[in-house]
Amino acid sequence: MIGAIALLLVCQLAGEAIHRLTGLPLPGAVIGMVLLVGWLALVRKERPTLEAVTGWLTAHLSIMFVPAAVGLIDEGAALSRYGVGIVVATVISVLLTLSVTALVFRWAVRRFGPDEQEQA
Amino acid sequence: MSGLMSSPILWLTATLIVFEGADRLSRRSGRHPLCHPVLLATPVLIGVLLLTRTPYSTYYSATQMLVFLLGPAVVGLAVPIWAQRAVIRRLAVPIGLALAAGAVTAVVSAVGILALFGAPREILASIAPRATTTPVAMEMAQQLGGVPALAAVIVLFAGVFGAMVATPLLNALKIDDFRARGFATGVSAHGIGAARAFQVDATAGAFASLGMALNAVATATLLSVLALLI
Repeated sequence: MIGAIALLLVCQLAGEAIHRLTGLPLPGAVIGMVLLVGWLALVRKERPTLEAVTGWLTAHLSIMFVPAAVGLIDEGAALSRYGVGIVVATVISVLLTLSVTALVFRWAVRRFGPDEQEQA
Repeated sequence: MSGLMSSPILWLTATLIVFEGADRLSRRSGRHPLCHPVLLATPVLIGVLLLTRTPYSTYYSATQMLVFLLGPAVVGLAVPIWAQRAVIRRLAVPIGLALAAGAVTAVVSAVGILALFGAPREILASIAPRATTTPVAMEMAQQLGGVPALAAVIVLFAGVFGAMVATPLLNALKIDDFRARGFATGVSAHGIGAARAFQVDATAGAFASLGMALNAVATATLLSVLALLI
Protein backbone atom coordinates (compact mmCIF):
# COMPACT_ATOMS: atom_id res chain seq x y z
CA MET A 1 0.00 0.00 0.00
CA ILE A 2 2.63 2.52 1.08
CA GLY A 3 4.86 1.27 -1.74
CA ALA A 4 2.16 1.98 -4.33
CA ILE A 5 1.50 5.47 -2.94
CA ALA A 6 5.23 6.15 -2.86
CA LEU A 7 5.53 5.07 -6.50
CA LEU A 8 2.81 7.57 -7.50
CA LEU A 9 4.47 10.35 -5.50
CA VAL A 10 7.94 9.56 -6.87
CA CYS A 11 6.59 9.77 -10.44
CA GLN A 12 4.83 13.05 -9.71
CA LEU A 13 7.89 14.47 -7.94
CA ALA A 14 10.11 13.51 -10.87
CA GLY A 15 7.51 15.04 -13.21
CA GLU A 16 7.45 18.29 -11.23
CA ALA A 17 11.27 18.38 -11.18
CA ILE A 18 11.45 17.85 -14.96
CA HIS A 19 8.75 20.51 -15.44
CA ARG A 20 10.73 23.07 -13.42
CA LEU A 21 14.25 22.18 -14.49
CA THR A 22 13.72 21.78 -18.23
CA GLY A 23 10.88 24.26 -18.68
CA LEU A 24 8.85 21.50 -20.38
CA PRO A 25 5.40 23.12 -20.31
CA LEU A 26 3.42 19.92 -19.58
CA PRO A 27 2.05 19.84 -16.00
CA GLY A 28 4.27 17.85 -13.61
CA ALA A 29 1.51 15.30 -12.94
CA VAL A 30 1.06 14.62 -16.66
CA ILE A 31 4.82 14.08 -17.06
CA GLY A 32 4.56 11.83 -13.99
CA MET A 33 1.83 9.81 -15.74
CA VAL A 34 4.09 9.26 -18.75
CA LEU A 35 6.97 8.30 -16.42
CA LEU A 36 4.73 5.77 -14.65
CA VAL A 37 3.75 4.16 -17.98
CA GLY A 38 7.49 3.88 -18.66
CA TRP A 39 8.11 2.35 -15.25
CA LEU A 40 5.30 -0.21 -15.71
CA ALA A 41 6.83 -1.16 -19.08
CA LEU A 42 10.30 -1.45 -17.56
CA VAL A 43 9.48 -3.43 -14.41
CA ARG A 44 6.88 -5.99 -15.42
CA LYS A 45 4.93 -7.64 -12.65
CA GLU A 46 1.44 -7.94 -11.26
CA ARG A 47 0.53 -4.80 -9.30
CA PRO A 48 -2.76 -5.40 -7.48
CA THR A 49 -2.04 -2.78 -4.80
CA LEU A 50 -1.17 -0.07 -7.30
CA GLU A 51 -4.37 -0.88 -9.19
CA ALA A 52 -6.36 -0.67 -5.95
CA VAL A 53 -4.83 2.70 -5.00
CA THR A 54 -5.26 4.30 -8.43
CA GLY A 55 -8.74 2.81 -8.73
CA TRP A 56 -9.68 4.38 -5.40
CA LEU A 57 -8.24 7.76 -6.43
CA THR A 58 -10.05 7.70 -9.80
CA ALA A 59 -13.32 6.68 -8.17
CA HIS A 60 -13.11 9.69 -5.82
CA LEU A 61 -11.78 12.23 -8.30
CA SER A 62 -14.98 14.28 -8.13
CA ILE A 63 -14.64 15.50 -4.56
CA MET A 64 -11.05 16.60 -5.22
CA PHE A 65 -12.15 19.36 -7.57
CA VAL A 66 -14.90 20.72 -5.35
CA PRO A 67 -12.50 23.24 -3.70
CA ALA A 68 -11.63 24.62 -7.16
CA ALA A 69 -15.23 24.69 -8.36
CA VAL A 70 -16.25 26.68 -5.27
CA GLY A 71 -13.83 29.33 -6.61
CA LEU A 72 -16.67 30.38 -8.92
CA ILE A 73 -17.78 32.47 -5.93
CA ASP A 74 -15.22 35.06 -7.06
CA GLU A 75 -16.04 34.81 -10.80
CA GLY A 76 -19.48 36.42 -10.83
CA ALA A 77 -18.36 39.29 -13.09
CA ALA A 78 -16.75 37.02 -15.70
CA LEU A 79 -19.77 34.69 -15.66
CA SER A 80 -22.39 37.39 -16.09
CA ARG A 81 -20.36 38.92 -18.92
CA TYR A 82 -19.23 35.82 -20.81
CA GLY A 83 -21.54 33.11 -19.43
CA VAL A 84 -23.61 32.88 -22.62
CA GLY A 85 -20.49 32.72 -24.80
CA ILE A 86 -19.00 30.02 -22.57
CA VAL A 87 -22.16 27.89 -22.78
CA VAL A 88 -22.52 28.30 -26.56
CA ALA A 89 -18.81 27.59 -27.20
CA THR A 90 -18.83 24.53 -24.93
CA VAL A 91 -22.02 23.06 -26.42
CA ILE A 92 -20.83 23.42 -30.04
CA SER A 93 -17.33 22.24 -29.15
CA VAL A 94 -18.67 19.08 -27.47
CA LEU A 95 -20.94 18.24 -30.44
CA LEU A 96 -18.12 18.81 -32.96
CA THR A 97 -15.51 16.90 -30.96
CA LEU A 98 -17.79 13.89 -30.45
CA SER A 99 -18.65 13.76 -34.16
CA VAL A 100 -15.13 14.33 -35.51
CA THR A 101 -13.50 11.82 -33.13
CA ALA A 102 -16.05 9.07 -33.83
CA LEU A 103 -16.05 9.63 -37.61
CA VAL A 104 -12.23 9.69 -37.86
CA PHE A 105 -12.00 6.55 -35.69
CA ARG A 106 -14.49 4.68 -37.89
CA TRP A 107 -12.86 5.87 -41.11
CA ALA A 108 -9.37 4.88 -39.87
CA VAL A 109 -10.53 1.43 -38.74
CA ARG A 110 -12.01 0.79 -42.20
CA ARG A 111 -8.98 2.22 -43.97
CA PHE A 112 -6.14 0.83 -41.81
CA GLY A 113 -7.84 -1.44 -39.27
CA PRO A 114 -6.55 -5.01 -38.96
CA ASP A 115 -9.78 -6.49 -37.63
CA GLU A 116 -12.82 -5.88 -39.79
CA GLN A 117 -14.54 -8.87 -38.25
CA GLU A 118 -14.78 -7.10 -34.90
CA GLN A 119 -16.89 -4.32 -36.34
CA ALA A 120 -20.41 -4.42 -35.15
CA MET B 1 -13.53 30.37 17.52
CA SER B 2 -12.00 32.52 14.79
CA GLY B 3 -9.20 29.95 14.46
CA LEU B 4 -11.74 27.21 13.93
CA MET B 5 -13.47 29.20 11.16
CA SER B 6 -10.34 28.91 9.03
CA SER B 7 -9.23 25.41 10.08
CA PRO B 8 -9.01 22.42 7.73
CA ILE B 9 -11.09 20.31 10.14
CA LEU B 10 -14.12 22.62 9.78
CA TRP B 11 -14.02 23.01 5.99
CA LEU B 12 -12.97 19.45 5.19
CA THR B 13 -15.86 18.21 7.35
CA ALA B 14 -18.30 20.60 5.67
CA THR B 15 -17.08 19.60 2.19
CA LEU B 16 -17.30 15.88 2.93
CA ILE B 17 -20.78 16.10 4.44
CA VAL B 18 -22.17 18.25 1.62
CA PHE B 19 -20.52 16.04 -1.01
CA GLU B 20 -21.83 12.84 0.59
CA GLY B 21 -25.35 14.27 0.55
CA ALA B 22 -24.92 15.28 -3.11
CA ASP B 23 -23.56 11.84 -3.92
CA ARG B 24 -26.58 10.14 -2.36
CA LEU B 25 -28.93 12.29 -4.44
CA SER B 26 -26.88 11.46 -7.51
CA ARG B 27 -27.11 7.74 -6.77
CA ARG B 28 -30.86 8.03 -6.23
CA SER B 29 -31.16 9.68 -9.66
CA GLY B 30 -29.49 6.65 -11.24
CA ARG B 31 -26.34 8.78 -11.79
CA HIS B 32 -28.06 11.17 -14.15
CA PRO B 33 -25.40 13.54 -15.55
CA LEU B 34 -27.39 16.60 -14.42
CA CYS B 35 -27.24 15.27 -10.86
CA HIS B 36 -23.44 15.09 -10.86
CA PRO B 37 -22.41 15.45 -7.20
CA VAL B 38 -20.02 18.36 -7.93
CA LEU B 39 -22.83 20.28 -9.65
CA LEU B 40 -25.04 19.75 -6.59
CA ALA B 41 -22.38 20.30 -3.90
CA THR B 42 -20.71 23.43 -5.31
CA PRO B 43 -23.66 25.86 -5.02
CA VAL B 44 -24.42 24.60 -1.50
CA LEU B 45 -20.85 25.22 -0.35
CA ILE B 46 -20.81 28.63 -2.04
CA GLY B 47 -23.98 29.41 -0.07
CA VAL B 48 -22.32 28.32 3.17
CA LEU B 49 -19.29 30.53 2.48
CA LEU B 50 -21.52 33.51 1.70
CA LEU B 51 -23.66 32.99 4.83
CA THR B 52 -20.63 32.66 7.09
CA ARG B 53 -18.78 35.46 5.25
CA THR B 54 -15.80 33.21 4.76
CA PRO B 55 -13.39 34.43 2.08
CA TYR B 56 -12.74 31.90 -0.68
CA SER B 57 -8.98 32.02 0.00
CA THR B 58 -9.65 30.75 3.55
CA TYR B 59 -11.78 27.88 2.28
CA TYR B 60 -9.29 27.00 -0.44
CA SER B 61 -6.29 26.79 1.89
CA ALA B 62 -8.34 24.79 4.41
CA THR B 63 -9.22 22.18 1.75
CA GLN B 64 -5.72 21.85 0.23
CA MET B 65 -5.60 18.22 1.32
CA LEU B 66 -8.29 17.32 -1.24
CA VAL B 67 -6.62 19.39 -3.96
CA PHE B 68 -3.31 17.68 -3.30
CA LEU B 69 -4.78 14.27 -4.15
CA LEU B 70 -5.42 15.39 -7.74
CA GLY B 71 -1.73 15.05 -8.61
CA PRO B 72 -1.33 11.37 -7.69
CA ALA B 73 -4.77 10.70 -9.27
CA VAL B 74 -3.54 12.06 -12.62
CA VAL B 75 -0.32 10.05 -12.38
CA GLY B 76 -2.50 6.99 -11.72
CA LEU B 77 -4.16 7.33 -15.16
CA ALA B 78 -1.03 5.50 -16.34
CA VAL B 79 -2.55 2.28 -14.99
CA PRO B 80 -5.57 2.09 -17.37
CA ILE B 81 -3.35 3.18 -20.28
CA TRP B 82 -0.89 0.39 -19.49
CA ALA B 83 -3.70 -2.16 -19.00
CA GLN B 84 -4.99 -1.37 -22.53
CA ARG B 85 -1.57 -1.59 -24.21
CA ALA B 86 -2.54 -4.55 -26.41
CA VAL B 87 -5.58 -2.65 -27.75
CA ILE B 88 -3.52 0.51 -28.23
CA ARG B 89 -0.92 -1.40 -30.25
CA ARG B 90 -3.52 -3.19 -32.39
CA LEU B 91 -5.56 -0.06 -33.11
CA ALA B 92 -2.66 2.41 -32.99
CA VAL B 93 -3.58 4.21 -36.22
CA PRO B 94 -7.32 4.75 -35.57
CA ILE B 95 -6.63 5.71 -31.93
CA GLY B 96 -3.82 8.10 -32.87
CA LEU B 97 -5.71 9.80 -35.71
CA ALA B 98 -9.01 10.07 -33.82
CA LEU B 99 -7.19 11.41 -30.74
CA ALA B 100 -5.32 14.06 -32.73
CA ALA B 101 -8.46 15.10 -34.62
CA GLY B 102 -10.54 15.21 -31.44
CA ALA B 103 -7.99 17.15 -29.38
CA VAL B 104 -7.51 19.79 -32.10
CA THR B 105 -11.28 20.09 -32.74
CA ALA B 106 -12.04 20.55 -29.04
CA VAL B 107 -9.47 23.32 -28.50
CA VAL B 108 -9.97 25.19 -31.78
CA SER B 109 -13.78 25.15 -31.71
CA ALA B 110 -14.11 26.14 -28.05
CA VAL B 111 -11.53 28.95 -28.18
CA GLY B 112 -12.61 30.12 -31.64
CA ILE B 113 -16.30 30.42 -30.79
CA LEU B 114 -15.69 32.07 -27.42
CA ALA B 115 -13.32 34.56 -29.10
CA LEU B 116 -16.25 35.62 -31.31
CA PHE B 117 -17.96 36.76 -28.10
CA GLY B 118 -15.01 39.06 -27.42
CA ALA B 119 -13.74 37.14 -24.38
CA PRO B 120 -10.31 38.20 -23.09
CA ARG B 121 -7.29 35.94 -22.88
CA GLU B 122 -7.87 34.71 -19.32
CA ILE B 123 -11.34 33.44 -20.24
CA LEU B 124 -10.09 31.85 -23.48
CA ALA B 125 -7.28 30.14 -21.53
CA SER B 126 -9.90 28.75 -19.15
CA ILE B 127 -11.95 27.09 -21.92
CA ALA B 128 -8.99 25.86 -24.01
CA PRO B 129 -8.44 22.65 -21.97
CA ARG B 130 -12.19 21.92 -21.77
CA ALA B 131 -11.91 18.35 -23.09
CA THR B 132 -9.31 17.15 -20.58
CA THR B 133 -10.00 15.64 -17.20
CA THR B 134 -10.58 18.37 -14.58
CA PRO B 135 -7.23 18.31 -12.72
CA VAL B 136 -5.28 18.62 -15.98
CA ALA B 137 -7.63 21.37 -17.18
CA MET B 138 -7.13 23.37 -13.98
CA GLU B 139 -3.37 23.03 -14.21
CA MET B 140 -3.30 23.97 -17.91
CA ALA B 141 -5.62 26.95 -17.37
CA GLN B 142 -3.32 28.18 -14.61
CA GLN B 143 -0.27 27.82 -16.84
CA LEU B 144 -1.89 29.65 -19.74
CA GLY B 145 -2.99 32.55 -17.52
CA GLY B 146 -6.60 31.43 -17.10
CA VAL B 147 -8.84 30.86 -14.08
CA PRO B 148 -8.69 27.31 -12.63
CA ALA B 149 -12.17 27.58 -11.06
CA LEU B 150 -13.69 28.60 -14.38
CA ALA B 151 -11.83 25.79 -16.15
CA ALA B 152 -13.13 23.28 -13.59
CA VAL B 153 -16.74 24.35 -14.09
CA ILE B 154 -16.48 24.50 -17.90
CA VAL B 155 -14.98 21.00 -17.96
CA LEU B 156 -17.75 19.79 -15.69
CA PHE B 157 -20.43 21.30 -17.91
CA ALA B 158 -18.77 19.85 -21.03
CA GLY B 159 -18.75 16.42 -19.37
CA VAL B 160 -22.39 16.60 -18.31
CA PHE B 161 -23.56 17.85 -21.71
CA GLY B 162 -21.37 15.33 -23.56
CA ALA B 163 -22.68 12.45 -21.47
CA MET B 164 -26.26 13.48 -22.27
CA VAL B 165 -25.89 14.00 -26.03
CA ALA B 166 -23.40 11.24 -26.90
CA THR B 167 -25.96 8.46 -27.45
CA PRO B 168 -28.48 10.42 -29.59
CA LEU B 169 -25.75 12.20 -31.57
CA LEU B 170 -23.74 9.05 -32.35
CA ASN B 171 -26.97 7.24 -33.28
CA ALA B 172 -27.83 10.05 -35.69
CA LEU B 173 -24.36 9.75 -37.24
CA LYS B 174 -24.95 5.97 -37.54
CA ILE B 175 -21.74 5.10 -35.67
CA ASP B 176 -22.43 1.54 -34.52
CA ASP B 177 -18.87 0.55 -33.52
CA PHE B 178 -18.79 0.71 -29.72
CA ARG B 179 -15.03 1.32 -29.80
CA ALA B 180 -15.52 4.50 -31.86
CA ARG B 181 -18.50 5.58 -29.76
CA GLY B 182 -16.70 5.08 -26.45
CA PHE B 183 -13.44 6.63 -27.58
CA ALA B 184 -15.19 9.75 -28.88
CA THR B 185 -17.14 10.11 -25.63
CA GLY B 186 -13.96 9.89 -23.52
CA VAL B 187 -12.03 12.33 -25.73
CA SER B 188 -14.86 14.87 -25.73
CA ALA B 189 -16.44 14.42 -22.30
CA HIS B 190 -13.61 12.92 -20.15
CA GLY B 191 -14.55 11.09 -16.92
CA ILE B 192 -18.24 12.00 -16.87
CA GLY B 193 -18.55 10.78 -20.46
CA ALA B 194 -16.66 7.60 -19.55
CA ALA B 195 -18.99 6.92 -16.63
CA ARG B 196 -21.96 7.25 -18.99
CA ALA B 197 -20.28 5.03 -21.61
CA PHE B 198 -19.82 2.28 -19.00
CA GLN B 199 -23.59 2.36 -18.38
CA VAL B 200 -24.21 1.75 -22.09
CA ASP B 201 -21.61 -0.90 -22.92
CA ALA B 202 -18.44 -2.35 -21.32
CA THR B 203 -16.35 -1.99 -24.51
CA ALA B 204 -17.53 1.59 -24.95
CA GLY B 205 -16.61 2.27 -21.32
CA ALA B 206 -13.09 0.87 -21.67
CA PHE B 207 -12.47 2.91 -24.83
CA ALA B 208 -13.90 6.01 -23.16
CA SER B 209 -11.45 5.67 -20.24
CA LEU B 210 -8.65 5.25 -22.73
CA GLY B 211 -9.80 8.31 -24.67
CA MET B 212 -9.93 10.36 -21.49
CA ALA B 213 -6.45 9.32 -20.31
CA LEU B 214 -4.82 9.79 -23.73
CA ASN B 215 -6.53 13.13 -24.31
CA ALA B 216 -5.15 14.46 -21.02
CA VAL B 217 -1.67 14.02 -22.52
CA ALA B 218 -2.63 15.04 -26.07
CA THR B 219 -4.42 18.28 -25.15
CA ALA B 220 -1.79 19.27 -22.58
CA THR B 221 0.90 18.77 -25.23
CA LEU B 222 -1.09 20.64 -27.88
CA LEU B 223 -1.75 23.60 -25.56
CA SER B 224 1.88 23.68 -24.43
CA VAL B 225 3.04 23.91 -28.03
CA LEU B 226 0.42 26.57 -28.85
CA ALA B 227 1.43 28.57 -25.77
CA LEU B 228 5.03 28.60 -26.94
CA LEU B 229 4.00 29.79 -30.41
CA ILE B 230 1.57 32.52 -29.36
